[in-house]
Amino acid sequence: MTEYAIEARDVAVTYADGTEAVRGVDLLVETGEFFGFLGPNGAGKTTLIKTLVTLLRPTDGTVTVNGFDAVAEPQSVRATVGYMAQETSIDPELTARENLRFACDAYGVSRAERGDRIDELLALVELTDVADKVADDFSGGMKKRLDAATALVHRPPLVFLDEPTTGLDPAARNRLWEYFQRINDEGTTVFLTTQYLEEADQLCDRLSVIQDGSVVADGTPETLKRRVGGEILDVELAEPAESERAVAVARDESLFAEGATITPTESGLTVTARDARTRGTDLLVALRDADIGVVGFDVRAPTLDDVFLAVTGERTEAAAADGGDVQAEAVSDGGDAREAAMTDDGETGAAPDADGVSR
Amino acid sequence: MSVKTGDRYGGSFASDVWTTFVRWTIKSVRNPFVLVVSLVQPIIFLVLFTQVFGGVATSALEGVTYETYLVPAIVIQVALVAAATSGIGLVNDIENGMFEKTLVSPMNRVAVFVGKTLAEVVRIIAQVTIVLSLGVILGAEIATGLVGAVAIAGICVLFSVWFTAFSNVLAVVTRDEESTIIGANLLQLPLLFVSSAFLPLPALPTWIQTVATFNPITYGVDATRAVMLGEDTMTVIEVTRFGGMWDTLVPALAVLVCLALAFGSVAIYAISRAASADVR
Repeated sequence: MTEYAIEARDVAVTYADGTEAVRGVDLLVETGEFFGFLGPNGAGKTTLIKTLVTLLRPTDGTVTVNGFDAVAEPQSVRATVGYMAQETSIDPELTARENLRFACDAYGVSRAERGDRIDELLALVELTDVADKVADDFSGGMKKRLDAATALVHRPPLVFLDEPTTGLDPAARNRLWEYFQRINDEGTTVFLTTQYLEEADQLCDRLSVIQDGSVVADGTPETLKRRVGGEILDVELAEPAESERAVAVARDESLFAEGATITPTESGLTVTARDARTRGTDLLVALRDADIGVVGFDVRAPTLDDVFLAVTGERTEAAAADGGDVQAEAVSDGGDAREAAMTDDGETGAAPDADGVSR
Repeated sequence: MSVKTGDRYGGSFASDVWTTFVRWTIKSVRNPFVLVVSLVQPIIFLVLFTQVFGGVATSALEGVTYETYLVPAIVIQVALVAAATSGIGLVNDIENGMFEKTLVSPMNRVAVFVGKTLAEVVRIIAQVTIVLSLGVILGAEIATGLVGAVAIAGICVLFSVWFTAFSNVLAVVTRDEESTIIGANLLQLPLLFVSSAFLPLPALPTWIQTVATFNPITYGVDATRAVMLGEDTMTVIEVTRFGGMWDTLVPALAVLVCLALAFGSVAIYAISRAASADVR
């Protein structure tokens, strides 16, 4: 058993059209870890995951998966990983059982073990009752669960899950989270990319955030939240259209400590600052003096959504769909959102170890 | 739970072929629409051509009925149409993620292509059998008997490989069902008409005779026709050293084997490189 399930050093992937999808990424994922890989759409998440599972060859750098070099020993890598792609990948013309049988045969699961393994996986993803029904008739959630099961037939020590719950309703999503947690509890290393930060927060031991092909933050969910700096003050305005003016008022008054971020939202504005709680009432007074009506406010601890916004300057697609806001664009000290998020403990970008690798 | 450290993962080459063959065969059986639809056009050609051109053509064929002359062309057309649908299956696999799922598994990529092609071969044999039977019912005669019928099916299978490969390459390159269908269908009829399929080459314009020399259909049709008639039928290459129908079969089969190897190699390369071809 190797110490690291994934060792990626200075990995770059450049497409034939010149697009640098991944640029100098260093990544270490420990065996048995539940690792989350976050980033906005187009940040390079899927390109990196495809490189790790040998679907793409890195243009530069080295990739070792389960102790095997992904370029020199791709067959060994393929045999020891499970991969659940972003789009559901099952044969709709086959039954659930036939899909699993195909996966078993593809990974060389012995005939003696095959029947029991299929039954076990059908039970795990709760598809036993429909095992002999054609997958085309399944709901989206059932297809995803079947897809997840096919990635596990050979008991891989490492599983890649590329946005596995995208498009599922909350109940189906929760169900899949349980399965992923269960296989991780059994010792499987899990590499997860997701748009749902609640998912990452609940499941992952450690996270990396990628933007424009580079890792820009790394740590446990709690560490990352602490790095946001202070607390979050959400202000709901009577006229949301005045959010830009409210942000200008908050900036002009220099109400908050250096490093604070002030961003407009669909309903008003959000302030991230060490003194958000103590200076919140001053902001409300300033807004009143500027004839901007306030209908509600809330002070809370940062979530991963706030981390993501601070680090990337963007809301995740999922958060935006839930009523999120525009890109972060305003920081009181004139720096950018990413810098502001990391200045609390003096860090910028990923937190490298002595050997320069995010861990 | 442990990391494998052995040298061999997954199944053997043969088991990878079998695994792929079983999956595609199940899909064929479960969706007979493709099998039926790809038979419609050749059967319409067989019935219409024998009825419309039968009387005129038979007089130019020196003792051979047009049914007997035409059936070898129709079975080659069956193989051509069936091979054209192969790429459509691959596009569907690309669209539903099974193609990527296969590439990320330790399955041998050559075995994947071979297994899929074998499943199509079974379909082609079934279809050729149906058309040959229909031809015999309509009055065609197989001079070489039952063995000849089996040989005709075998030639059709060999013939289908190059177009199956071509169709799969189209699928990998375009990754689009409509483009694959249009690309494959665009070639089918012109290739059939500028060959020895429907009329003897000496009866066709000189330019068609020239094009027919380089047209794979000519070699497929001449080979099946040689078995059907039990005699040398090839006019594009003059071979006399083997005697009788072998003067047609030997050069025609040699050409078809070369085509199968060339196009098959390109298809395997394209499928193997499909995922990473866009990366520098």
